[in-house]
Amino acid sequence: MSEDRQRRVIRTDLLARVEGEGAMYVRIDGRQVAEVKLRIYEPPRFFEAFLRGRAFTEAPDITARICGICPIAYQMSAVRAMEDACGVAIDDGPLRDLRRLIYCGEWIESHSLHVYMLHAPDFLGYAGAVEMARDHREIVEQGLQMKKIGNALMALVGGREVHPINVRVGGFYRAPTVAQLRSLREPLLRARETALATVRWTAQLPFPEVERAPELVALADPGGYPIDLGRIVSDAGLDIAAHEFDEHFIEEHVEHSNALHARIRERGSYLTGPLARYGLCSGQLRPLAGEAAREAGLGPVCRNPFQSIVVRAVELVQACDEALAIVERYELPDAPAVEVVPRRATGHGVTEAPRGMLYHRYEIDDDGTILDARIVPPTSQNQLAIEEDLRAVVEQELDLPDDELSLRLEQAIRNHDPCISCATHFLKLTVDRG
Amino acid sequence: MAEARARATVVIGVGNSLRHDDAAGLEAVRRLRTRAERAGVVVCEQQGECLGLLAQWEGAGAVVLIDAIHSGRAPGTIDRLDASATALPAELVGSSSTHAVGIGEAIELARALDRLPARVVVFGVEGRCFSAGEGLSEQVRAAIPALADAAVQEALRLAGRSATG
Repeated sequence: MSEDRQRRVIRTDLLARVEGEGAMYVRIDGRQVAEVKLRIYEPPRFFEAFLRGRAFTEAPDITARICGICPIAYQMSAVRAMEDACGVAIDDGPLRDLRRLIYCGEWIESHSLHVYMLHAPDFLGYAGAVEMARDHREIVEQGLQMKKIGNALMALVGGREVHPINVRVGGFYRAPTVAQLRSLREPLLRARETALATVRWTAQLPFPEVERAPELVALADPGGYPIDLGRIVSDAGLDIAAHEFDEHFIEEHVEHSNALHARIRERGSYLTGPLARYGLCSGQLRPLAGEAAREAGLGPVCRNPFQSIVVRAVELVQACDEALAIVERYELPDAPAVEVVPRRATGHGVTEAPRGMLYHRYEIDDDGTILDARIVPPTSQNQLAIEEDLRAVVEQELDLPDDELSLRLEQAIRNHDPCISCATHFLKLTVDRG
Repeated sequence: MAEARARATVVIGVGNSLRHDDAAGLEAVRRLRTRAERAGVVVCEQQGECLGLLAQWEGAGAVVLIDAIHSGRAPGTIDRLDASATALPAELVGSSSTHAVGIGEAIELARALDRLPARVVVFGVEGRCFSAGEGLSEQVRAAIPALADAAVQEALRLAGRSATG
């Protein structure tokens, strides 16, 4: 590396408003971006090792502990994978409705946390939700109200708000009564109105002109906007079943991170999450959510990661509207769960966590003992695409002073709502100009 | 999750049970639960992100929070911090949180929204290991009885009851 060229290193040790903690490192030689690294320190393999030797029925509860924000995603991918291994499919009826309902609760909780508390301050010029709350109390109050309805869904279907205990392989331990679910109708109607207002509000935020073109990857479910099942598709023509995941996606260690970076064989980085779901499946939004997206000026595909706040708001409408439909049509299932008999097999499960696709694969023995487990969280999958966003921001904003560039980079990371806790624990953001 | 009864005193243990010493707050409230509840104090755990705290202390007159701290001091060191009127020191909160919104941020958000109980006392215990895994480190485990005792005494005092309940 040439000593006479101007060298800037941007290093930020604490990444605010991202789950867990993180580190980012950017090195600029002259006017060339030499290095961009999103660091993740902790090996993510603890849970996979922890699962080996456990009963197949324990996977949903163990994996739910990986993240306090998206436990349902972990539970749903786990139960799908175990049912797949055992030859059971819950693809319709009240049990699937309950699964989608509790998943809508998680989307509502997670998206409202990100839209109102973590992402909005970036556009309104505040360091965080606390500072924003002093001037824009109503925005934060809306966020808390929305989170409350998400919590109520989680508590009613999941047994409690955090780390739900009612989900099991085959269904649920106890099915909520019809009256219990109908009691959510009024709060959901109000939440849907708030979500619609949020789409209108986010649509008029000031967005930088940015267009990114990573390969978009999401589930596609002929029955509707993807949440709990579907084939894995991409805008580059990928169309595979969950069990083909390993043939098309690889994870590899990179020097600066203990988490594994996922890439599509042959083509490299890809993006999962709201922008991918929307870009691939906007035509399957419920009419109210689709109309809200059109009114907000979103085309069928959105490639500006800053506008992910609008897409998340559209998904809030989608989740509230779908939850409403479910609580209105719900009838008590014959049994809260179907019987799932273990057999020696490998099962795969993919669902759409709020932040993107979450893949589980388990190999189990005849007695249901877990022999091997593999979990690929959305943030590991998005990591390369986020690094590419960082590189693009640096190239575009090379002349900004350090502190402003650092903030832009933090925002570029927050656009993707990375849940670093899902992949690992400690992450620190680093912006350094040597 | 039980929401606080009006004007009640609430004790909340914050942490993640699969992050070694991050579980210290949870271990402490499990130890003090019976004693506190007998005296009418509401006891909860918070294992998710800390915005959930706002619902847990809603309507309460006083709250005692117990959490692990990562500030580089001797593991097992116990702190008592009064956040009723002033923010927690930045170096003690948010530095190792696995939670989206940290305990310090949740307190300040609640303060900005007039949703903070009149009395807020935080007990922290310095952790050594926050990596993924079960079980407290030896020094933190040894500090749990004293931590639980201090927190329950505080809660009973705030509830206007004697330590004997």
